[in-house]
Amino acid sequence: MIFDIAPAAPEIFVLGMACVVLIVEAYHNEPSHALVYWLAQVTLLGAAVLTLYFGPEQTVLAFNDIFVSDPMSALLKVAVCVVTFVVFLYSRTYLREHDLLKGEYFVLGLFAVLGMMVLISAHNLLTIYLGLELLSLSLYAMVALHRDSESASEAAMKYFVLSALASGMLLYGISILYGVTGNLDLARVSLIITEQTEPNTLLIFGLVFVIVGVAFKLGAVPFHMWIPDVYQGAPTSVTLFISTAPKLAAFAMAIRLLVDGLGGLIGSWQDMLIILSFLSMAAGNIIAIAQSNIKRMLAYSTIAHVGFLLLGILSGTLAGYSSAMFYVIVYALMTTAAFGMVILLSRSGFESDRLDDFKGLAQQSQWFAFVMLIVMFSLAGVPPFVGFWGKWFVLKEVIDAGIVWLAAFAVIFTVIGAFYYLRIVKLMYFDKADTDRSITSSHEMRFVISVNGLAILALGLAPGLLMSLCVAALSA
Amino acid sequence: MTDQIIFYALALLLIFAGSMVITVRNPVHAALFLVLAFFTSAAIWLLLEAEFLAIALVLVYVGAVMVLFLFVMMMLDINLAPLREGFARYLPVGGLVALLMMFAMGLVVGPRYFGSERFPVPARHAADYSNTKELGSVLYTDYVYPFEIAAAILLVAIVAAIALTLRRRPHIKAQKPQLQVAVRREDRIRLVKMTSEKKGSP
Amino acid sequence: MADYMRYVYLGVVLAPLLASIIAGLFGRSIGRAGAHWVTIIGVGIAFILSSVAFNYIVFDGGEVFNGAVYTWLVSGDTRLVIGFLIDRLSVTMMVVVSFVSWVIHIYTIGYMHDDPGYQRFFSYTALFTFFMLILVMANNFLQLLFGWEGVGLVSYLLIGFWFKRESANQASVKAFLANRIGDFGFVLGIAAIMTYFHTLDYAQVFQQAPLMANTTIELLRGTAWPLMTVICVLLFIGAMGKSAQVPLHVWLPDSMEGPTPISALIHAATMVTAGIFMVARMSPLYELSATALSLVLVVGAIGAFFIGVLGVVQHDIKRVIAYSTISQLGYMAAALGASAFSAGIFHLVTHAFFKALLFLAAGSIIIAMHHEQDMRKMGGLGKYMPITWITMVIGGLALSGVPGTAGFFSKDAIIDAVGHSNLPGAGFAHVALLVGVFVTALYTFRLIFLVFHGPERFGAEVRKHVHESQAVVIVPLIVLAIPSLMLGAILVGPMLYEGHFGHALLVLPQYDVLAQMGEDYHGPWALVLHGLIGLPFIFALLGFGVAWYCYIKRPDIPKRAAERAQIIYNVLVHKYGFDEFYESFFAGGARGVGNLFWRVGDVALIDGLAVNGSARAVGWFSSIVRTIQSGFLYHYAFAMIIGLLLLLAIFVHGIL
Repeated sequence: MIFDIAPAAPEIFVLGMACVVLIVEAYHNEPSHALVYWLAQVTLLGAAVLTLYFGPEQTVLAFNDIFVSDPMSALLKVAVCVVTFVVFLYSRTYLREHDLLKGEYFVLGLFAVLGMMVLISAHNLLTIYLGLELLSLSLYAMVALHRDSESASEAAMKYFVLSALASGMLLYGISILYGVTGNLDLARVSLIITEQTEPNTLLIFGLVFVIVGVAFKLGAVPFHMWIPDVYQGAPTSVTLFISTAPKLAAFAMAIRLLVDGLGGLIGSWQDMLIILSFLSMAAGNIIAIAQSNIKRMLAYSTIAHVGFLLLGILSGTLAGYSSAMFYVIVYALMTTAAFGMVILLSRSGFESDRLDDFKGLAQQSQWFAFVMLIVMFSLAGVPPFVGFWGKWFVLKEVIDAGIVWLAAFAVIFTVIGAFYYLRIVKLMYFDKADTDRSITSSHEMRFVISVNGLAILALGLAPGLLMSLCVAALSA
Repeated sequence: MTDQIIFYALALLLIFAGSMVITVRNPVHAALFLVLAFFTSAAIWLLLEAEFLAIALVLVYVGAVMVLFLFVMMMLDINLAPLREGFARYLPVGGLVALLMMFAMGLVVGPRYFGSERFPVPARHAADYSNTKELGSVLYTDYVYPFEIAAAILLVAIVAAIALTLRRRPHIKAQKPQLQVAVRREDRIRLVKMTSEKKGSP
Repeated sequence: MADYMRYVYLGVVLAPLLASIIAGLFGRSIGRAGAHWVTIIGVGIAFILSSVAFNYIVFDGGEVFNGAVYTWLVSGDTRLVIGFLIDRLSVTMMVVVSFVSWVIHIYTIGYMHDDPGYQRFFSYTALFTFFMLILVMANNFLQLLFGWEGVGLVSYLLIGFWFKRESANQASVKAFLANRIGDFGFVLGIAAIMTYFHTLDYAQVFQQAPLMANTTIELLRGTAWPLMTVICVLLFIGAMGKSAQVPLHVWLPDSMEGPTPISALIHAATMVTAGIFMVARMSPLYELSATALSLVLVVGAIGAFFIGVLGVVQHDIKRVIAYSTISQLGYMAAALGASAFSAGIFHLVTHAFFKALLFLAAGSIIIAMHHEQDMRKMGGLGKYMPITWITMVIGGLALSGVPGTAGFFSKDAIIDAVGHSNLPGAGFAHVALLVGVFVTALYTFRLIFLVFHGPERFGAEVRKHVHESQAVVIVPLIVLAIPSLMLGAILVGPMLYEGHFGHALLVLPQYDVLAQMGEDYHGPWALVLHGLIGLPFIFALLGFGVAWYCYIKRPDIPKRAAERAQIIYNVLVHKYGFDEFYESFFAGGARGVGNLFWRVGDVALIDGLAVNGSARAVGWFSSIVRTIQSGFLYHYAFAMIIGLLLLLAIFVHGIL
């Protein structure tokens, strides 16, 4: 039997390089970990290049139909690699400042990337589960990596137990689906479901468990409880990682499972997602107002954004999925910048994760206050920043799908949410600083975060480019 | 008929063992009940002609994992009383939810949908059929991709375990026998030439 | 087709934008001189390229450019593009806008010399030029709106430029609010177009418009409204705000709180004419609605006369010119209403020059008087500032429409066109415009006499410092004085009768008053000769005479007249009570309603129920949430199980 392994070249490359990095880390023990860091970054860039190089025009199946490579997977993998690249760059600054720099951070990060890629390219219920576990296991370890911090250990413990519970539910749902259809292959599962003439309660039963698994990974209410605690407890560099790239993978997981596999049950999962989406937008935006810690606030902001993301998926059309994809990529970009700013302002022995730490930033650093302003406006959905377009496309799809009331609530919750984003702008520009602040971060960090902020503005001025990529990725 | 009697007996035993794991007070007992649960599920798998999996379960989980578990528990002597403090307090609510859950699931996962008459009887294999061989032949061909991913997961588990537990303590004072053995005379003794004192000086 | 023209058009808008960004963001590093150089060069490039475009379209007979330069967004079958429509109308506007703006940039060097916000000012003015060019070059309604709001924003910023002055802040807010009312109508109009035409592209809308001429829509149940009238009236409401037409004109006099170059650039020459330009641009739509044309005509005529009268009782030199601007905008609107679109644009062009001239001359006086603007404290300045005096007189002659000057040709054409019109209200409008000429001459020469002639009414201290302004102030005055004299004679033939605008403006045969007038047209000289015995000139002479008699010969008359006709005088001083009415009815009403809402809504409902209530509710909610988000693992797991149970109950078992 001959396998065509070319479509999986990026995964193979990442796995191979992760092992190389592991060995280098073990034997080349220097305190700055520069070699490990650069090898990891090269791996990510290489994976992105390989993805583009082998990126297919059409859907290509490999490994006995277990693996799928299509334009959607290519776009998401490149996005994962790029986002992780930036995350590693920010993280290195943070970890060095806080004396936490360990080679394992990058090794585990690479394995997490591998997990995401597996998840993105999954064409089989089995690979979805395995990819998810690979990703999650790496993330637990990354959260716990800072052993001396009690909050990090607590966060890791919570994350681990809850995630295990969710995985159990997902696995149970998968087993039910397997029991009914006799298949693990997504295409065949989909075929069998569409061939069914009468509604099958058992399928819906399995679907509920699958939805719980997806909702947990995304962080939709009421399966969101881990997010605030883990975001706050974990070192900021890890929070940054957890909150960005894995959401791209979770989006892919939702599309693979719900659209590719369970597309025949759209009538049911649409209603479920409406509930989850509504609750997420409501809870995320309202509770975020009460937070005084920016990491926790951004955690609730994530939950609210997940609600919006679900809007795109639940509209149930190709245009809806593309808008959701646009949203998740944009979300990753904005969140990277937001946590990046937290890292930028932090320094040795000072976390800078309270809202008050942003007071008077404009007087001390006009430029970075402006970057943060871009990020906050974009997160709030103020035009012309790209966050506005994300919301716009998603809302348009929901309205086209005829669920106008949900769109109306979404807008109301956005207005509520604008409060806590704009509060940061107010703190930066209109309040006096409590602390004397000096930005000690490296030049590359300053440069990249500036580019990151400006990208939000640039994409907002020209949203058509990314949107057409998203549309092309899903219509193939 | 005999199959069914054996199955139900094993299934009841499995449920009993499972509930004992989470209710008994003594952690060692709980671990032993877990061993029992593994054994019974292995037996059920045997009924399903999945010999390899059954044996692997017994060898790996019972033989290795649980024994290690017991060692750790006995060595650490964890006092589990504080962990159980809330047990009685949360029992009513938890129990209610558990009952509801069982009810909700039982309605669906019952004979109405999963009754044996709804599924074709699987074909019996010949006596010389080897479950192990079959598994082996697909594991490295059809399922090589998931297999590799599973391997990667194990690797991550190892990396994580080591990263989380291995501590380099540079300041600790410990003997290093290999250095003591490999020591040379030149390392320890220095011969110093001194001029002898002259007698009769003032 | 010259492909490079596309880049010329892009250059026209991008040069001022770039200059604005450089001056605005890097103002501190490039310094004051750097800021004015970069913006003057940027706007200068825009002017030169506009001239190239003008030459290409008008003289070389180049093709009209109508195309997208950048597709912003495609959403379904809606395409939002940045595109240009460059035809004879837009190139005319581009040249006027960029030229006036350029001259004013130069003038500003002198006027704002000591201002701490020097770089900011230049950044704003260049940004304004960018928005204005975007507005006139747009080929779709969205971009029009973008430019429209952009100039409104810069206008707001510049009126409130001296933000430490309370009155400047209030004026900027007032301008903003009045424009907001207009923009509301404007946006509704665009929305109506989007709804019924399914496109925002000019060419497509104009193409479909004749098919929609008889479409009616139901605004209220059971009533039929002609679609075209609804759209045109809504768009004109936008123009009322931006072009200061009655009753939304109230912001323009107050906008004089801004620096004088701004009054000249934005509130006389360019931005306020955006509404006029827009109506002309939409001529294919307006031609389909006699009702809308009639409305434009009457509103314009009311403004031309009644608001002009107010100029006679003002004492602030800039306010006089501001009321004159409203009056002249009224003339332009009246021309549009009479379907003499090209006459309206013609007046817009000539007005841009002589009104900018008047403002800059006023600015020159204000500099000399150390920022004193009250005419009662001036007088006899002619001998101190001869050039300012001469240029201001030229501007005044042009404004009064003395035969031969630029204003004469355009204004006479408008009056004549309105006289030929058969629309309802045309008779009234004709009379109002004629009498308006008298008023114009009266307030213009009142201003000149009060400022330059008669006794000196300022102290000795001031007299020591009064002198002619520096070159950067004087040169723009001269540069503007020349076209104020000559431009009319040059342009009257091509613009009105020889089809300068080509197909850019559409006039239906039954409304084509200019064609009727064209039959009697025998060149500019004949017009001047005819004008010398025409009714408008007689009115102008009358105005001049009255001004001379009242302010030079018998300076005591105005006071006595004011005492005699106290009622009229009071009405005029209170500006017909527009401000008071708005103040008491809208603002007061809003305050009253606000008060009511405050008491019922805020205190009882919002404070009591919503704020305190929601604070309590949020408190209650967060206390619940806090117990859920307790940090305890089993609580979290429990929540997940509950969620799962609920999903199962709803979707599997059909409960709820």
